[in-house]
Amino acid sequence: MDKNIILDFKNVTKRFPGVTALKEASIQIRRGEIHGICGENGAGKSTLMKILSGVYPYGTYEGEIFYNGEKLKLANRSIRQARDEGIAIVYQELTLVPDMTVGENVFLGKEPTEFGIINWNKLYSDTQRILEKYQLDVQPQAIIKNLGVGKMQMVEIAKALSENAQILILDEPTSALTDAEVDKLMEILETLKQHGVTCIYITHKLDEFFRITDNITVLRDGQVVTTKPTSDVTLEGLVKYMVGRELKERFPKGNRKPGEVIFEVEGLHAEDPDSAGKEVLRGINLDLRKGEILGIAGLMGSGRTELVMTLFGEYGKVTAGKVRLENEEINISSASNAISQGLSLVPEDRKGQGLVLGQSVLKNLSLPNLRFFSNMFQIDDNAELRASTEQAQNLAIKAPNLLIPCDSLSGGNQQKVVIAKWLMSNPKILFMDDPTRGVDVGAKFEIYKLMNELAERGVSIIMISSDLEEVLGMSDRVMVMHQGHSTQTLEASEATQEKVMALATGLA
Amino acid sequence: MSMFSELGRRIRQNIQTYTIILALVGIWLFFAVLTEGRYVNPQNISNLFRQMTVTSFLAIGMVLVIVTGNIDLSVGKAAGFVSVVVAYLQAYVWHAIFPGQALLAATLSILIGLAVGLVWGVLEGYVIAYLNIPAFIVTLGGLFIMRGGILIVTQGRTIPANQPYLKEIAQGYLPDLAGWVLAIIVVAILVFNMFRSRQKRRDYGFELSPFSIDLFGTLFFSALVIAYVYIVNQYNGVQAPVLLMAIAALIIAYMSNNTKFGRYAYAIGGNRDAARLSGINIRQNIFQIFLLMGLLCGVAGIVLASYVGYGTIAAGEGYELDAIAAAILGGTSPLGGVGTVFGALIGALIMTSLTTGLQILNVQPAWQYLLKGMVLVLAVYADVYFKKKS
Ligand SMILES: Nc1ncnc2c1ncn2[C@@H]1O[C@H](COP(=O)(O)OP(=O)(O)OP(=O)(O)O)[C@@H](O)[C@H]1O
Ligand SMILES: [Mg+2]
Repeated sequence: MDKNIILDFKNVTKRFPGVTALKEASIQIRRGEIHGICGENGAGKSTLMKILSGVYPYGTYEGEIFYNGEKLKLANRSIRQARDEGIAIVYQELTLVPDMTVGENVFLGKEPTEFGIINWNKLYSDTQRILEKYQLDVQPQAIIKNLGVGKMQMVEIAKALSENAQILILDEPTSALTDAEVDKLMEILETLKQHGVTCIYITHKLDEFFRITDNITVLRDGQVVTTKPTSDVTLEGLVKYMVGRELKERFPKGNRKPGEVIFEVEGLHAEDPDSAGKEVLRGINLDLRKGEILGIAGLMGSGRTELVMTLFGEYGKVTAGKVRLENEEINISSASNAISQGLSLVPEDRKGQGLVLGQSVLKNLSLPNLRFFSNMFQIDDNAELRASTEQAQNLAIKAPNLLIPCDSLSGGNQQKVVIAKWLMSNPKILFMDDPTRGVDVGAKFEIYKLMNELAERGVSIIMISSDLEEVLGMSDRVMVMHQGHSTQTLEASEATQEKVMALATGLA
Repeated sequence: MSMFSELGRRIRQNIQTYTIILALVGIWLFFAVLTEGRYVNPQNISNLFRQMTVTSFLAIGMVLVIVTGNIDLSVGKAAGFVSVVVAYLQAYVWHAIFPGQALLAATLSILIGLAVGLVWGVLEGYVIAYLNIPAFIVTLGGLFIMRGGILIVTQGRTIPANQPYLKEIAQGYLPDLAGWVLAIIVVAILVFNMFRSRQKRRDYGFELSPFSIDLFGTLFFSALVIAYVYIVNQYNGVQAPVLLMAIAALIIAYMSNNTKFGRYAYAIGGNRDAARLSGINIRQNIFQIFLLMGLLCGVAGIVLASYVGYGTIAAGEGYELDAIAAAILGGTSPLGGVGTVFGALIGALIMTSLTTGLQILNVQPAWQYLLKGMVLVLAVYADVYFKKKS
């Protein structure tokens, strides 16, 4: 037995009804390395990690896993057992309790106690220490649900890091983080590596592999395609391993000519609905032309999500300003109102806002579109199935059939379901809040192509993204937000990373 | 694909429904053996189904209420209130205004009973949906209010409600021949439906499931209907309240599966935010659900008055708990988003089967409650257990 191998997967096979998520996967992880795992949506990455953390216990998969040379046998749902063994995991989807504080979440299940009574002072001071050590900018007493997704992700990481982990697994930890936050995470990982912690790192942002990993394993359709030292592969090579073919460019070139202005926002101010008087939008001006893709850039917390949610009638209390659709002033008070005016929203948080996870793909796809297949008394389920099947095929949603519940889809495929359900409603204006979060390169490309096609058909799109390259690559114009107001709208030709960042940080 | 593998797949898909049906059959066998067959004689079967009707009306509404993530604790007393109002009208009001017009009197009683239920639903629904007060609190208050209402109407007396026509609602039976005609109509509809849905799928160009499977399903349900009519005809015939219950259940089941209203209810319970962002008017939907629940309380109250033959101060006492238990037994998730009308009916049947079985065996009421409580928890445990297994 090689002492340097901390973790050894031997022919691991995991079957679900209708899908084999892993096929005879064998991977060796060396002690102290950062090991990247990549692959398309549904390739089996998360499944592998769930086996490692006891979500799928010993006996529900075939093959063996050796941990420090010993067979790993985790009992059902024994996240705790895995943790005691020194395996810590940060899941792809957030697992925080929204109504609890940061501290309570970090110590959930391992609260410091004295005679069975929680020692709150210790809990919060320990949390403070961890947060400071890793320079995470959150207050221990803050309530989770009041934080943005980016901050939540940091808490999630802090939660895993607070344990004396031997192995830290990160399943797409950066999908919602800004560049600055990603840099910080990379620093943390380097530190951990120096302390001898082994890291398994899953992401769809391929450049991160080259920044940080020592070895990369590529999965495709549940099988290990290759494991290589990172220094031996190129970005193009990696993509080819993943999708089985070459992808020339990251952003497909559209061929669109935006028309006249269709949607205008003028001097929009809005308050946080939960705490009156707290302004979140302080003067937004934007105009959107027919068939245009308008990117919205800005730092996390600059009010991008709040802006689209407000325009969709679901967030802020508008205190001033005008919104015009096709030269008519509109006043959108709710999502149903927005939809009936021809607006659609792909929300930021697919689990919390985008999907009814327990329901089938079919029902999720048709939910906002039932009016197309039904009258007061009846839903034409055949028409529903046909339209949904078509849409699912258009986006290449990977699912054995449309009747399986959404929570058994991989993260990226869930995202596709959210996008598909909104495309079915034939919107005039489509708001997309981080539409490619957690989506693999190939599928990203498909989504971009789709956005181009939509724009060519005359749909106007407002896209938010934390990925600056994506915003620059896809948009006709970029509107930059800073602390709740719109600064400037740049033409694609004049928008550079430097310019956008300067505007976003308030330096320009 | 062979017929059996397809059948196996479907059974696995609906494992929950089958576990509960198995539980029901198990309970029947158990009592049949202990009572040396008395439990399953036509008279007892007939009474069993008749007895479950009042709870069933409440349970099928309760499913939808729970599916949206709400609860209604007032249904028992609301039905009770309707029953005493109906009794009061029957006993004291109508024959003072138009003596001897029993049919007119019964019709008016029914209409007013339904209206009372509806108004109650509108009130509760409005407060819950539009004033944003949690259903648990509103309906808990509703329970007390209705209890007061019953005392006001009855003044502590027992009011007779066994007048002609009204009596027939819960105590009437169809003639044997009518029962058979009904069975034939139902079978014809089942067969017609099977062919029509296959034809529609073909028109849309979808793959058809094997004919043998569809036929098997249709024949199975047809056989159940025919067997049922055969058995109850050996006693008095098809029971009027059971027929009413079947119609109500079919309507509600249809609404829950095949209308926007129903779909929205499940989506709201499954993920409220996603439902809202999908453009669903949550308040309106919840308001409608409570309105429907109120209407069903009205129906249940009328049947209750007719069934008991009296309006009493204890009318509907504890029925809300039976209805909730039936829904939960039938697989409704207390967290919302999941549940079926059919399951709730089976749940109600299980609760009633236990009650009658234990009564026949002369078990003390105290023990009846103990056993029913344990069965409820056990059944839900079995369900959780099997779901983990599959
Ligand atoms: N509980 C489940 N039941 C059925 N199928 C499942 C279940 N969980 C995952 N799958 C399927 O297994 C396959 C692998 O899923 P997995 O979540 O591991 O993908 P992934 O590589 O993490 O993808 P992504 O990048 O989109 O997160 C997918 O086809 C998915 O649909
Ligand atoms: Mg994943």
